[in-house]
Amino acid sequence: MAASYPSRREFIAATAASLLRPRSVRAQKGNVTAQQVADRIRSNLGVDWRPQTVDGFKAGDPTIAVTGIAVTVLATTDVLRTAAAAGQNLVITQEPLYYATNDDPGNRAKDPVYLAKKAVIDQQHLAVFRFTEHWNARQPNESAKALAAALKWTSAVQDTPQTYRIPDTTLENLAAHVRRHLPIRGGLRMVGQPDLRVRTVYLAPGTTSLAMAVTNLQRADAVLAGEPREWEAVPYTLDTWPSNRGKGLIAIGRMVSEGPGMSACAAWIRSLVPDVRVESVAVADPYWSVNA
Amino acid sequence: MTAQEIVGRIQKKLQELGIAWRTQTVDTFKAGSPQTDVKGIATTGMATFDLLRRASAAGKNFVITHEPTFYNHQDQTADLETDPTYQAKQRFIKDNNLIVFRFHDHAHALQPDPLVAGSARMLGWTQYASPTEPRVYVVPATTLRELAVDVAAKLHGKAIRVAGDPDMKVTRVALGPGYGVPTLTSSVDVAVGGEAAESGGNVEYILDAAADGQKKGVILLGHMMSEDWGMKEVADWLRPLVPEIPVEWLPAGEPFITSR
Repeated sequence: MAASYPSRREFIAATAASLLRPRSVRAQKGNVTAQQVADRIRSNLGVDWRPQTVDGFKAGDPTIAVTGIAVTVLATTDVLRTAAAAGQNLVITQEPLYYATNDDPGNRAKDPVYLAKKAVIDQQHLAVFRFTEHWNARQPNESAKALAAALKWTSAVQDTPQTYRIPDTTLENLAAHVRRHLPIRGGLRMVGQPDLRVRTVYLAPGTTSLAMAVTNLQRADAVLAGEPREWEAVPYTLDTWPSNRGKGLIAIGRMVSEGPGMSACAAWIRSLVPDVRVESVAVADPYWSVNA
Repeated sequence: MTAQEIVGRIQKKLQELGIAWRTQTVDTFKAGSPQTDVKGIATTGMATFDLLRRASAAGKNFVITHEPTFYNHQDQTADLETDPTYQAKQRFIKDNNLIVFRFHDHAHALQPDPLVAGSARMLGWTQYASPTEPRVYVVPATTLRELAVDVAAKLHGKAIRVAGDPDMKVTRVALGPGYGVPTLTSSVDVAVGGEAAESGGNVEYILDAAADGQKKGVILLGHMMSEDWGMKEVADWLRPLVPEIPVEWLPAGEPFITSR
């Protein structure tokens, strides 16, 4: 209908405004800024925002109008380019952007790889928001729940967080099951004897601390770990054998272990900003093996 | 000779080498009485329960370990007191009159660092050490795949993980000990070490370098496959300090098994 067309004057004003703004603003529909997305995340978390946190904007201008959101375990240069090409200017990442927990490039501040990544962000007017501590603080643990779902495990043990009853199997067959259901290349490692009987598994995606192993192997037969330290949970599990307790640990690596959790995170964020396209971007297992 | 006296000789030797004993250090007695009479010494990458059994069976009642005995860097045991595995390990140490001492900070202070030199020797890289850059080895031109296969064969590692393009050309390798995987920079092709924080470091750098047209790699040996060998160097260093007592290197060994 004629009435829906802008007048010539309005059209000129709109065009002039669009010329003054970054290209990304013109493409947006819902008129929500990156900061407003972050605010919706904060207000819907169900967890208090911590005064000291690694979560928050790591690059870009939080006032940009969001054209699309990419949610990923790791905002690699590839992920950033793919997001920009798909019209997504807000990238939400679980892991650091610049190779350090505090995202300080430090000695790499003049490194060409760092500079190339920064250039993609600047040229494409991207904003990068890190979201890890608060996502992982939600109860029950979202990453463990999503990992269990990816492994087709539905029988959560009552009153024992992150622990699942699984069909009776062996440690070796459990590793095969994990391989079948997750995108693992070379990152899977196992501690324990292959014929260990496994009926209950504690899921510890991401960092798998000593305390998690000590506490949860009281009940569970095995731990499905992301990244266990090799002077902590790994030798502890090893030592259960001479002490006649015989437990197992399967480490799948941080990136693979957090993949399902970040897909779930994408779905949750989608529910908060229904007018913006939110996509989950997978990061492949970075490791390969000469042994497998 | 008591375990305490042996540690005294280590401290004296370090002093002669210009290495002062640190006031803040994890290098302390972890279990057993320092006044115990020592029959034999075993050096190892980690005093695992299995290692303690082997040491005891070999008549080595003094275990000098590079890594912790009780699963954390400070060997704090308060949270482990009721744990059956911890209790069984402590009972074994007591029943067999073992003493465990950690030799970590001061071992790394030796020049060259035995924990790096041990791996380099096993890998046959000693001759390739850069004269000017610490921990850099300039190896004959190879690919990341060939290098990783060779490393796995020489160290008998069962769970070595590699990141980076298998076909990338490699000559400049940085070798670090244990958790000290060297930082990848534009002047290093491949970093080799034990284990690394899987976020905030080299792995992401490799992925981003590839996107920028640069090829980089990392080979993660596993902590023991990286540092067990260095404690053999420490055994060789220790032997002349305590000629009265047999000193043997007992590797803790690869904790991982692989699955296909």
